[in-house]
Amino acid sequence: MAGGVVKRKRDIFLWLGLGFLIALLLFAVFGPAVRTAMLKGTSPDLKNAVIDQAGKPHLSPNAQFWLGTDEQGRDIVSRLAGGARVSLMVGLIVQLISLLVGITVGMLAVFAPKWVANPLMRFTDGMFAFPDILLAILVIAIMGQGVLPVVVALSVSAWPSIARLVRSQVVTLKDREFVVAAKATGAPTVYLVMKHILPQLSGLLMAVSMLEIAGTILSESTLSFLGIGVQAPNPSWGSMINNARTEMTSYAEWLIAPCLILSMTVFALNFVGDGLRNRFDPKGQ
Amino acid sequence: MALAKAISLRALFGVISLIFISLVTFLAGEMAPYDAATIEAGDKASVEQVQRIRHNLGLDRNWTIRYVEYLGKAAKGDFGNSYYGTKEPVRDIIARTLPMTATVALLAITLAAAVGIFLGTLAAVYQAKFVDRSVLTLSTLGVTIPNFVLAPLLVFFFNSKLGWLPTTWEVDRTASDFYYLLLPVAILAARPMALLTRLTRASMVDTLQQEFIRTAIAKGVPKFKRNIKHALRNAVLPVVTAIGTSFGVLLTGSFVVERAFLIPGLGSQAIDAMTQNNMPVIQACVLVTGVMFIALNLLVDFMLPILDPRIREAQI
Repeated sequence: MAGGVVKRKRDIFLWLGLGFLIALLLFAVFGPAVRTAMLKGTSPDLKNAVIDQAGKPHLSPNAQFWLGTDEQGRDIVSRLAGGARVSLMVGLIVQLISLLVGITVGMLAVFAPKWVANPLMRFTDGMFAFPDILLAILVIAIMGQGVLPVVVALSVSAWPSIARLVRSQVVTLKDREFVVAAKATGAPTVYLVMKHILPQLSGLLMAVSMLEIAGTILSESTLSFLGIGVQAPNPSWGSMINNARTEMTSYAEWLIAPCLILSMTVFALNFVGDGLRNRFDPKGQ
Repeated sequence: MALAKAISLRALFGVISLIFISLVTFLAGEMAPYDAATIEAGDKASVEQVQRIRHNLGLDRNWTIRYVEYLGKAAKGDFGNSYYGTKEPVRDIIARTLPMTATVALLAITLAAAVGIFLGTLAAVYQAKFVDRSVLTLSTLGVTIPNFVLAPLLVFFFNSKLGWLPTTWEVDRTASDFYYLLLPVAILAARPMALLTRLTRASMVDTLQQEFIRTAIAKGVPKFKRNIKHALRNAVLPVVTAIGTSFGVLLTGSFVVERAFLIPGLGSQAIDAMTQNNMPVIQACVLVTGVMFIALNLLVDFMLPILDPRIREAQI
């Protein structure tokens, strides 16, 4: 009985997180366009039309600018929506790349001949030997600053943990009866992986992906906060926080919105990730 | 013998990591769209002029030769000169900024370890009680709230509202350094503190269920002595490993805090160098922090058998 109650309590967090993420996704997709339409005519400067509806700088929240305007007179709601767009896009793309590379390397480490598998796993282990931020800095030093370098920089350090996870799971999965049985019928390895092993892993990978996307969004914001990530005039929550920080003594309220939306996104992703993991990986509790 | 083998294998892995990171930093310099020659020639130079300078600097030789040369120089602490300004040797820049970063990281890890072990032990002893729940909630917050959100919020509270602590590091400091470093150190310590708390709690909960603790209860060992001398001593070993790795992460992860508080450390230096494309400085910052990170992890691995007789005996 007690277990059931705990489970339902956790599920509430899962659904809350999921609800927030769906709202965030809608906000990111439609927010900029909707705000542009709503603020039409308020701005003489439509050069950066989507995000930059220029009003007067540092307007307090009012009926037109719900959260006020920033230091350049841009609508903060639009900036937040643009930041959501960047964060979600970077998070999803990096995760997609890291899943592709991670699954491939993890599977190769189990099924490939030893002379491929061993060096591959050693290399993966080697990637853990020094901190991600250093790799990110080197990639950005080579490629310059912007969204693409951030995606590359974060992908480079994201895949090894997926590769490790896939390898450790597949090592035990491949000796399970249903896989051995399929193998005995003469199924080729690729078919085994695609049809029998990957579906078993999909739940766990989905859960882990949520947690990793949270980490990626944090890293992107960190880089943008440091001024080496997404560059102006493109919005990013990290650079919004940094801008607000420099004017903190006079306009402290401007910190609240970007900090809050970033923290809530990370919390929501963690809730969903943990919730999914409890469902798919009961042993991992 | 097995211990010697394990140690030498670990050392070999350390050396390979060092080669890996030095190679990656070197290649970053190779792949950048500019090099020492283009910088020295300036914007208006013709292709031939750049070629001549490149030849004079020996940059047109095979990259393997230059990599070995780079390694040899780096081992002696020679990282070349900064591209801009007074073309200060990078070695001096590192020597100027590294102590600051190391001090902040050392203070932060000390704070994190002390508070983390204390709170973790407390939570484990009062498991599932109010203390435990509040500690767990706090540590969850500590892990999820990023530094760059925490920093402005705390500065706002302690500086703008209360007026107790200064916002940033200043060249002309009116009070002791401690006063200026309090907030940055606390913020840097938040995450490792939360991680160490959780780890200590988990390890203690595990240890408290073991048979030698039951024996101690049966013998009538006082509760405090039982929890500290018997349980904590056994539970603290994984925490020691984590302290080592966390310290490494702090050394490399002080970018945000240094930036937010304008602390003149290695992290600020690296970010400045990145906005200027100052490759030698970037390379040196990455290499120095990377080497420290690897060395710390090695040190922890070597220390474990000394601290824990069980590991020592398992491997002999």
